[in-house]
Amino acid sequence: MRAFVSFSVLALIVVGLALSLSHIPFGTDRMQVGNYYLDHGVADTGASNIVTAVVLNYRALDTLGEVTVLFIASLGLGVFLSWPKKKEGTQEEGKRELPEASLIVRRGSQFLFPLIILFGGYIFLHGHLTPGGGFQGGSVIASAFLLMFLGNNAYRLRHTPLTVTESLAGITFVVVGLIGLGVGGYFLNNFLPKGNMFSLFSAGVIPILYSAIGLKVGAELSGIVANMFESRSER
Amino acid sequence: MTTGNPMMYVGAVGLIMIGLFTVLSKRNLIKIIVGLTLLDTGVNLLLVAIGYIHNRTAPILTQAHADPSKMVDPVPQALVLTAIVIGLGVTALALALAIRVYGHYKTLDTRKIRGLKW
Amino acid sequence: MVATLLIALPFLGAFLIPLVALASKKLSHYIPAVVMLTNLGIALSLLPRVMNAPIVVSLSGWRAPIAINFVVGPLGLGLAILISFVGFLVSVYGISYIHEEPKEKYHMLVLTLLTGATGMVLTGDIFNLFVFFEILSLSSYALTGYNRDRGGTEAAIKYLIQGSIGSAFILIGIALLYGITGTLNMADIAAHVAGADPTLLFMAMSLLIVGFGVEAAIFPLNAWLPDAHSSAPSSVSAILSGIAIETGAYAVARIVYTVFDGHGIMLVLSILGVITLLLGEMSAFRQKDDIKRLLAYSSVGQMGLIMLAFGIASDAGVFAALFQLVSHTLAKALLFLASGYIIYRVGSKKLSALAGLGRKMPFTGAMIAVAVLSLVGVPPFAGFMSKFSIVRAALAQHSATYTGLIVLVLVATVIEVGYFMKLLQILFFTEAETEGAVEELPLSALIPITILAALIIIIGVYPHMITGLLQHAASGLVQRSAYIQSVLGAL
Repeated sequence: MRAFVSFSVLALIVVGLALSLSHIPFGTDRMQVGNYYLDHGVADTGASNIVTAVVLNYRALDTLGEVTVLFIASLGLGVFLSWPKKKEGTQEEGKRELPEASLIVRRGSQFLFPLIILFGGYIFLHGHLTPGGGFQGGSVIASAFLLMFLGNNAYRLRHTPLTVTESLAGITFVVVGLIGLGVGGYFLNNFLPKGNMFSLFSAGVIPILYSAIGLKVGAELSGIVANMFESRSER
Repeated sequence: MTTGNPMMYVGAVGLIMIGLFTVLSKRNLIKIIVGLTLLDTGVNLLLVAIGYIHNRTAPILTQAHADPSKMVDPVPQALVLTAIVIGLGVTALALALAIRVYGHYKTLDTRKIRGLKW
Repeated sequence: MVATLLIALPFLGAFLIPLVALASKKLSHYIPAVVMLTNLGIALSLLPRVMNAPIVVSLSGWRAPIAINFVVGPLGLGLAILISFVGFLVSVYGISYIHEEPKEKYHMLVLTLLTGATGMVLTGDIFNLFVFFEILSLSSYALTGYNRDRGGTEAAIKYLIQGSIGSAFILIGIALLYGITGTLNMADIAAHVAGADPTLLFMAMSLLIVGFGVEAAIFPLNAWLPDAHSSAPSSVSAILSGIAIETGAYAVARIVYTVFDGHGIMLVLSILGVITLLLGEMSAFRQKDDIKRLLAYSSVGQMGLIMLAFGIASDAGVFAALFQLVSHTLAKALLFLASGYIIYRVGSKKLSALAGLGRKMPFTGAMIAVAVLSLVGVPPFAGFMSKFSIVRAALAQHSATYTGLIVLVLVATVIEVGYFMKLLQILFFTEAETEGAVEELPLSALIPITILAALIIIIGVYPHMITGLLQHAASGLVQRSAYIQSVLGAL
């Protein structure tokens, strides 16, 4: 019975989607606001990556929301993965200690760690010029921390610097937006000079916002990774 | 009537269906979460596919390509950026909950996770 | 311009709490209450300006549809007032109610949930609606499982899975809408929707209604609600039952009325609403082991009633729906807040454990009685006026179907009277199991409960306080072309 209902629901959705998508022919130009963004994006914002212009200027509130969603996810993880400190009797569960990684892995991960962080920083600093941006750069930074966790059994991350970075970066985003409100009359207005196209210091507040996002996402994702690793040993 | 090859749509809708089927019919909690990820991926692919325009390139101006009329729609790309991050947040929460559920029930079988009665 | 603060301040507050917590944990617990109070002040001060025409606020400095815009009209602002008011009361309650660590994260999550809700009711852009909806949903998933016990974890994972399927559907609907209209602004979509293909429109509208309907607890998408609202901490249940599901219902109404102008779907909404109502009330009637589950099923029933009223496609119908929404929020929040401490003191959720409590805690008992009588629809409480307006709006349609639906509503009300009177009887007219006095609720709980009860009585006796606002809000929702006009300017 349940299988029948599932199948019929799925079949209905497939048919409905197929019929609907036949009215949106693949590969045709149906842009409305898209054309405006392409034609005026650089002039309005100074960013040569039009997607960044959309994400951090025209639709910046969505980005603020997105940052908040990650914030909520890391909070939720902190809530779910917090175990009470004293728990006798569960020691026999078997603290499955993994064998220590070999010297090459340990030293290699420590060598690669700063390079990966540098790469992540490059990505989010150049978000307005090249593909990428805050989220991508932040994820790369978090992957550096993941590498350290995987390569070294004894690696632990102190949570306070992460929390401080996260908070400060988030506050920076909102404060920049509020300054835009005060200066230009609109929240998240781009109030710094647009600069020359293709240069690093262009596009007004966009590099600042993306750097804040990059740091925040990096801190949050590293915190999530750290939470998951630590919960294994604390249970 | 479609112009151009609709394989991208087929792929996207296919992923959505596989994801939905997995969520609705599998019993293992981790498989259900994987299904959710597939569902999200399929939807993101659908969004990007809707934004594609033939013979055009990425919406990034460089010194070599600076002609906006030869670029793909930037809006779905921005939407997918947000959607991917949101999907990541949900997956992270779901996995943490799965860890907790396993801790309580010692199983990941959704048929056995029925502490709350009718 | 000031209206953007309604969103910016809660975001700022949520990001500030971790920093403040490093300095002083206790201080950080007060931030949600402070932010919500400020929001309430800002919203109330804006209210006179928006009564006749909404303020359209452009974010980032570009006009719609190029950028995201807020449509601060009587409907949006009215709901924002409700959200910040109830949010303020629940935040005050939560300062002392929450005793399990990590407390700062609880307050951060409550603030983000309220941010998501406020954003949803104010925005004029459909993808923005989705983003704020996700903020609301993720905060709800995290808060539902806050207790980390068996029930809370199970309820949270079920809620998460069902909610995520709903979110995916919403995104597919948005993709279809964008594909056919090329824009994401709700007014712009509404302007272009007339020429599009009906199959695609129907598919997109159904996907969006199903997606938001999970949160709005429409049958058959509400399987998660009884578990989630009963297993969450009681202050969270109050927010979920009082704010989150109402915002979901708003989203459905906004989609149906403004974006799609869907006339065929209204009747379906009403029928689904009545089915939800009947199933909710019947399930509530069967509960005897869990007072919060009873309240949760009652929320399901009331959401069905609200959906029925939204489906009456007239000014009077939407007015009645909004009125019912307000009276349900006030009463249900009161009941969950009260039951929180009661369960804590008595140590059990069973109905029988509540025996005689109404006499031992007379003040709390009186407040509970006010809320219960309002939900059932007894004059002179707010619930009577709201139910009466629903009946009147439905009968004004002069259609056999709607008259039949109203008959079913009356049947459901009889069932509702049945279990709520049973509850009152247990509270007041049964001998207590244990001897000894039970303390009254602490002040941080009594003050919010009293304010809510007072409002229920005041609105019941002087409905004119809010009927003007509700009427403007209702016509704001129904008058689609006025909405499009104010957002897009001269077309």
